[in-house]
Amino acid sequence: MNFFLSINKKIFLLFLISIFLFTILFFFTIYLSSNSMVSKERIINYKGEADITKPKFSINSKKQKISVTANEGDFVSDNEIILKKNVVFKSNKFKIYSDNVTFNKKKSVAFSNDKSKFISDNMMIEARGFDIIDSGNIIYFKGKTKLIIR
Amino acid sequence: MSKLIFSLIFFFWISNASLARNTGETEIITEDGIEVFQEEKYYLLKKNVKINSDDFDLTGQLVKIYFDNGLDDLQEIIANDNVVFNSPKYNIKGKGNKVIFNVKNQNVLISGKASKLHMENLEMVSNSEIKLDNTNGSFLIVGENSKLITENVKINGSKIQGDFEIVDGKRVISILKVEDKEKLIINTDEIEMFAKKALFDNKKSIIELFENVKIVKENESIAGDYGILDTKKNSYKVSSQNSKKVRALIGSNE
Repeated sequence: MNFFLSINKKIFLLFLISIFLFTILFFFTIYLSSNSMVSKERIINYKGEADITKPKFSINSKKQKISVTANEGDFVSDNEIILKKNVVFKSNKFKIYSDNVTFNKKKSVAFSNDKSKFISDNMMIEARGFDIIDSGNIIYFKGKTKLIIR
Repeated sequence: MSKLIFSLIFFFWISNASLARNTGETEIITEDGIEVFQEEKYYLLKKNVKINSDDFDLTGQLVKIYFDNGLDDLQEIIANDNVVFNSPKYNIKGKGNKVIFNVKNQNVLISGKASKLHMENLEMVSNSEIKLDNTNGSFLIVGENSKLITENVKINGSKIQGDFEIVDGKRVISILKVEDKEKLIINTDEIEMFAKKALFDNKKSIIELFENVKIVKENESIAGDYGILDTKKNSYKVSSQNSKKVRALIGSNE
């Protein structure tokens, strides 16, 4: 007599179904665990990208007010913040554009070692970074610098 | 292959053309940055500074530029360390250790050893200071062994000052005053003059010489207290308060 004919068909069917379910469960567990890792990663990444988005500050002196904006900002200390992406210093006389600037709120100073552009009426300065000191009265454009007056 | 080379050349030409200064623009390049002092109204330019504009070019190592109404309203340039400048518009060029250059009226002050200023067909040399005032049409060269050199005349003195006027679009010296504590020298093609003070009037075509005067022409030498030379006639006269003091030496070529 054939061996398969001797097995109870119901038991065999139950066995197959349980294997099928077990397989589905196994893959589903893997899927869930992987999803949970991704979401955790996403949370960590989100936190690592920026402490604040669209930060806004200002440097005030007797003669002018310079507003400071950026897309992102990371606090280094209570007063010092690294501004990233589309950083703009704007006064009624000029604008300075850069992508990475360290700004000290308390001392009202800022510096950058990244390529920067200064634009004013009929003139433009391109430099490899800048320092803003003395509440914006002195701006030092660093490295090889080019100034164009139209 | 030739197409590729042509494309590369064209690309680099276009790139360079886009970086070049446009007409009407002033371009300033520095190796070590620019400081902008907004309240004090000046720029401080550091290391290998090059200024190029339609009106003038200037190079120096440390340059201060004052501005007035706006950041683009340049007034005065104070350049230090091996300064060289050229203003084709005003037909002047020069060099010196320090140059103060007024952008608006092109007045120039050059100081330091081996200072030089070329103006039309004039050359001014000094180890101390050369000043050119385009507004008043005057110049001053001070310092030992200062020189004023033209096509036909060479003048040495410790203080040379003069006025110039514009004739046919060119600067021509109208009045000249030369002084030297020791001895000034005026050399023309034919005559050599020595004195402590000399005055030149272009309208009168006369050079007057004062104190320790000596005029040498070919083999003739005359000394006295006062000398007068007619530059058109090329004739001269030397006199002295004490008539016995006039001395004439006449030699020969042989």
